[in-house]
Amino acid sequence: MLLATLLCYIGFTALCLSMNRHYDDLIGGSLTLGRGRALKLLGWVALLLSLWVALASQAMGQALVQWFAALMGSAVLFVFVMSYRPRLALSLAGIGALLAPVVACIQLLA
Amino acid sequence: MKEGFRQAMAWLHTWAGLIFGWLLFAIFLTGTLSYFKNEISQWTQPELVPHQVTEVDSVNRAQRWLQENAGDAKRWFITLPDERSPALGLSWAKARGGFERKSLDALSGTPVQARESMGGEFFYRFHFQLQMPYPWGRWLASLSAMVMFVALVSGIITHKKIFKEFFTFRPRKGQRTWLDGHNAVAVLVLPFHLMITYSSLVIFMTMIMPVSILTTYGGNTQAFFDDLFPAFKTAPASTETAPLAPIAPMFEVAAEKWPGSRIGLITVNNPGKANASVTLTPSGADHIPNISGTTLMFDGVSGALKDESTMSAASLMLAGGLYGLHMGHFAGPLLRWLYFLAGIGGTAMIGTGLVIWLGKRKLKHAKAGVLPFELRLVEMLNVASMSGLMLAVVSFFWANRLLPVSFAGRSDWEVRTFFCMWGLALLHAFVRVFFREGRSAWREQLTLAASLYCALPVLDLLTAGDYLFASLKQGQMTLAALDVTALITGIFLAWGAMRFGEGGKVAFVSKLTPTDSRRKSDSGVSANSGSEPARESVRADATAQEAN
Repeated sequence: MLLATLLCYIGFTALCLSMNRHYDDLIGGSLTLGRGRALKLLGWVALLLSLWVALASQAMGQALVQWFAALMGSAVLFVFVMSYRPRLALSLAGIGALLAPVVACIQLLA
Repeated sequence: MKEGFRQAMAWLHTWAGLIFGWLLFAIFLTGTLSYFKNEISQWTQPELVPHQVTEVDSVNRAQRWLQENAGDAKRWFITLPDERSPALGLSWAKARGGFERKSLDALSGTPVQARESMGGEFFYRFHFQLQMPYPWGRWLASLSAMVMFVALVSGIITHKKIFKEFFTFRPRKGQRTWLDGHNAVAVLVLPFHLMITYSSLVIFMTMIMPVSILTTYGGNTQAFFDDLFPAFKTAPASTETAPLAPIAPMFEVAAEKWPGSRIGLITVNNPGKANASVTLTPSGADHIPNISGTTLMFDGVSGALKDESTMSAASLMLAGGLYGLHMGHFAGPLLRWLYFLAGIGGTAMIGTGLVIWLGKRKLKHAKAGVLPFELRLVEMLNVASMSGLMLAVVSFFWANRLLPVSFAGRSDWEVRTFFCMWGLALLHAFVRVFFREGRSAWREQLTLAASLYCALPVLDLLTAGDYLFASLKQGQMTLAALDVTALITGIFLAWGAMRFGEGGKVAFVSKLTPTDSRRKSDSGVSANSGSEPARESVRADATAQEAN
């Protein structure tokens, strides 16, 4: 579930950045149309991927419950960290993006 | 037309939320505590020590003890110890009516001499029975759940920008922050809120909506439950006696039928009689859906498998699934903590809603400097239902440690302490809100609550430190975890109390006299009570969100 949680967090970060106001607050400058679309796509893909990862890792009932928990938990974490420590919120997403492939590899090998 | 509909929904959200908000806050808070029902019980009865024992050993001990001490009972119930509850739980329906419970030490098989306490069971029962006689409490709780559902749906409709403001939380902006917080905690945890509210209605559906049962079964609703759960049907005891077969071998059959599942409940009907029967039910900890209708029934004399019932109907699985999701018996430690946090989220959503209702109306009276009676009433109830309840909860734990261990009726006195404290908090809120101002009520109650929560670990160390250290030595974290949680709660409440302090940041226009508000804006501490434009913009924000 670690991988699914990381993907949820990355997904929410990308979706948030795909909005003009948040992009300006977090990164600065105006968001180009193309980049906005790319971020939105990345966000949704990450969320769907996290659902797939969760479903692939265990029985459906447990997987859905845990995925919802990861979804809600990462959204709450992101929103409140972003409100008080915007840089930290982005760094966490960066760390998540670095960790996700590693975790994926470990899970594939295991 | 559309705007009219949304306004109607906003009205509904506002008033349904206000009228039931106080009760719902209590239901949600005690329900949240109930996710740690067994852990709370362990803290309130530290004498119960967990042991490593096998299911077979446990059930043998239980059977031996019951045969010696409750051989003439109509029915036995045995729950085996697991990682969340250390004792072997026995209860039996006595031959002459009435019910008795006993906890056995899982290792020695003798009754444990633990202090009397309802522990987590108290919060759990209060959560849906509200300490009212049957069935009124359940009805009121169900009605509240219905209103909660209405408030959720009307809230979703009222909230125009769910996606646009999905990530929006603006701290330190007074009314705006409260509204953002209310929306954020509602939207981000919405799946939990919807699940928990809807499932609570499903749990009581046979009580709330009995029509389909009544039309099929007439007045004999027991027949419905007998059909639904055949294993729990009561047959009159036979007059012939016969020794009860050992229960332990039946576990082997169960292990074959339900691989990987532990036994949660053992029911023995008419023990010692010729028509005795033994029913095994799998543990809820191993499955998400509640499957109490899935059972294996054995002949109590020969020990042979007689009947097997499974819950396979889709509607039963759906209802059982919602029940299981609500209770969260299946949740491991991490998921259980998330349940707990989501529950706090729901509680916070209700609390912020109540604060916003009052804050918005207070703004209108900021200039006059005097709050009308009805707003004072709301403020009093806000204080008593939120900080007052926090005080009541912690006083329950204090009573558990301070009342003498062997004191008769101490369990009742713990409950009485809870309600006395709540009543005192209401009285204090009344005096403060009507004769001084609401801020002082909040500040004083939160300060007292903060000190009681922060001091709870100290009290635990002083009065039950031996148990705490022994449990830590065994690698059991439950007792320590409760202490640490109390400490964190205390720190949070202290932070809250400081916000209501003299020099603290004011979330709303709370100081109502013009001189006060001038003084604050001069010193530049006030968040938004100072300048008129700021107040206007806050009001505009607020009305844009929830027009009423």
